[in-house]
Amino acid sequence: MASNESGVTTQVPTRSVAQVLPVAGRTLIRLPEISIAMVACIIAIGFQVLNANFLTGLVPVLAASTALYGTMAIGEAMLMITGEIDLSVAKIYSTTPFIAYYITQAGAPFWLAILLALASGALIGMVNGLITVLFGVPSLIATLGMLFLLDGSTLTASRSEPVLTPMEEPVNTWLGLGQLQPIGGLAEYAGILWLGLFTLILTIVLHRTRFGTYTISVGSNLLAAREIGIRAKRVKVANFMIMGFLASFNGIIEAVSSGSTDPSAGDNTLTLYGIAAAVIGGTSLFGGSGTLIGAVIGAFVIAAFLNGLPLVGAQAAESSIFLGGAIIIAIILNILINNLRNRRAR
Amino acid sequence: MSTPAPSDLLNRAALRAAPVLLRTDGIRKSFGAVTALSGVSIYLRKGEVLALVGDNGAGKSTFIKILCGFHRPDAGTIEWEGKPLHLRSPLEARQHGIETVYQDLALVNDLTVYQNLFLGREKILRIAGFIPITDTRSMRVQTRRHLNALGIGLPSVSSLVRELSGGQRQSIAVARSLHASPKLLIMDEPLAALGVREGALVLDLIQNLRRRREVSIILIVHNYSQVFEVCDRINFLHSGEIVLDTSTEDTDEMELIRIVKSGLGRSAVREAIASTQI
Repeated sequence: MASNESGVTTQVPTRSVAQVLPVAGRTLIRLPEISIAMVACIIAIGFQVLNANFLTGLVPVLAASTALYGTMAIGEAMLMITGEIDLSVAKIYSTTPFIAYYITQAGAPFWLAILLALASGALIGMVNGLITVLFGVPSLIATLGMLFLLDGSTLTASRSEPVLTPMEEPVNTWLGLGQLQPIGGLAEYAGILWLGLFTLILTIVLHRTRFGTYTISVGSNLLAAREIGIRAKRVKVANFMIMGFLASFNGIIEAVSSGSTDPSAGDNTLTLYGIAAAVIGGTSLFGGSGTLIGAVIGAFVIAAFLNGLPLVGAQAAESSIFLGGAIIIAIILNILINNLRNRRAR
Repeated sequence: MSTPAPSDLLNRAALRAAPVLLRTDGIRKSFGAVTALSGVSIYLRKGEVLALVGDNGAGKSTFIKILCGFHRPDAGTIEWEGKPLHLRSPLEARQHGIETVYQDLALVNDLTVYQNLFLGREKILRIAGFIPITDTRSMRVQTRRHLNALGIGLPSVSSLVRELSGGQRQSIAVARSLHASPKLLIMDEPLAALGVREGALVLDLIQNLRRRREVSIILIVHNYSQVFEVCDRINFLHSGEIVLDTSTEDTDEMELIRIVKSGLGRSAVREAIASTQI
């Protein structure tokens, strides 16, 4: 029972709160998507009330930025479920389209170059993972090193100059170059459609495959996972590779849809938005639990703040105040929910 | 030495004739400068219940972690059903029929009861003949059946393990290790975290398994009085080696304590005395 210093009179209401809390808590624990979806709806309705152009005028923009942050967020959510994190994703995002560009310069077709660039993204993820699991370096530090390494390499190789993204139909249309031949206008939404596909696949992977079960096990109880015989290091490395692949895909989408392969495209805030989206979406900071759908909704919340606040008259600097507040509230809620889970475990 | 009565339910004569399931010879293991095991040799017959007793730091946990593939020995051999055995991972040990209930239970809080029961050997369904997904329905049904057979009552097999009580968690851990019909069951301090009533349930379970003589059991215990109830033989581990191997028929609690007292680990003696005073 909760302690009440104010006396006996408060006992009845305290009890009823204690009875309601577990129900609310259980729902939050089992379906964190619901609470975050409600928050997202409230934010969307709020902006719509303040400015009637929000949903009608901003749909393509919201879709594109949700895709941009969401693709990072689902990868970070998977990694955070295993108890790791990747800070280098924004640089994988800017480096791998360059790899694709250089491969086409060597004479290969663009589709092949893209496949190789995606593979190189996964390879960078693998290096991040191997440094983390083989040397016991915290992933925060290992991927921080990778961030600067990739940034420097790309800027040096490109002499800090953007290049034109190669064109080869139908590859560009699939990856979102709207002005060419949009399939019924869908090319504009290529990013969000791909995000939907990846989220669906990874949600099935997380909840309905051995690999997903092991991913949760490794993050929830590493010792138990190892005692059972799960190869925890492989599971972690594989999740780093998924992250690398997604970051690379995200970068290629951006390069194709903007027509420019820019060595300074991947701002580090992109990484931070991805991580924030995962946390806002209910992924535990302590490993073991998280949802990819929640991460996508979290990405939408960030996209709504970043695009909606200027629309209702906020300056860019002011937008950051609201976004920062939202992230802090989300993280505190995340910790409170986690405490609730742990209390229930005892 | 007493001869077993013909009506002995536990059939000790048959046990003496049973083939040796596991034999270790001179198992050594060091961690850096610390020698955990300095040559452990034991044997275990089919269906036998062996208690491994010893002081904290005597090497019990290290030894069983070698038997279940978690650690690899620096030297020494393991013979399993008459053949040499080299375990490279806990999964390999499980594939040979060696199951372990760890002291920490090795349960994953964020997974459901049925996911924990099948952890490491999930049932797989192939969609369109090649996409492997887990067969959750079949795992749920089998979990429910298995828990019912063991008399373990749970509100739902789809509950997350973090929602269960301590006793329920212990039951799930034991149920998981029995689910694969192991040949050897290793239990590390199965009673340590349990109350008297829950502990009695686990002891009953061990006694039932012992009567059937289908699975061999190695029990790590601290409390000697419990050893006499359910074990056939006792091995005393001290400073990384076996210093005493005796049948529970040939000795009694007081004698065991006398042996332990005569120069072996002090805190083990204190604990032994404490346990007999209960």
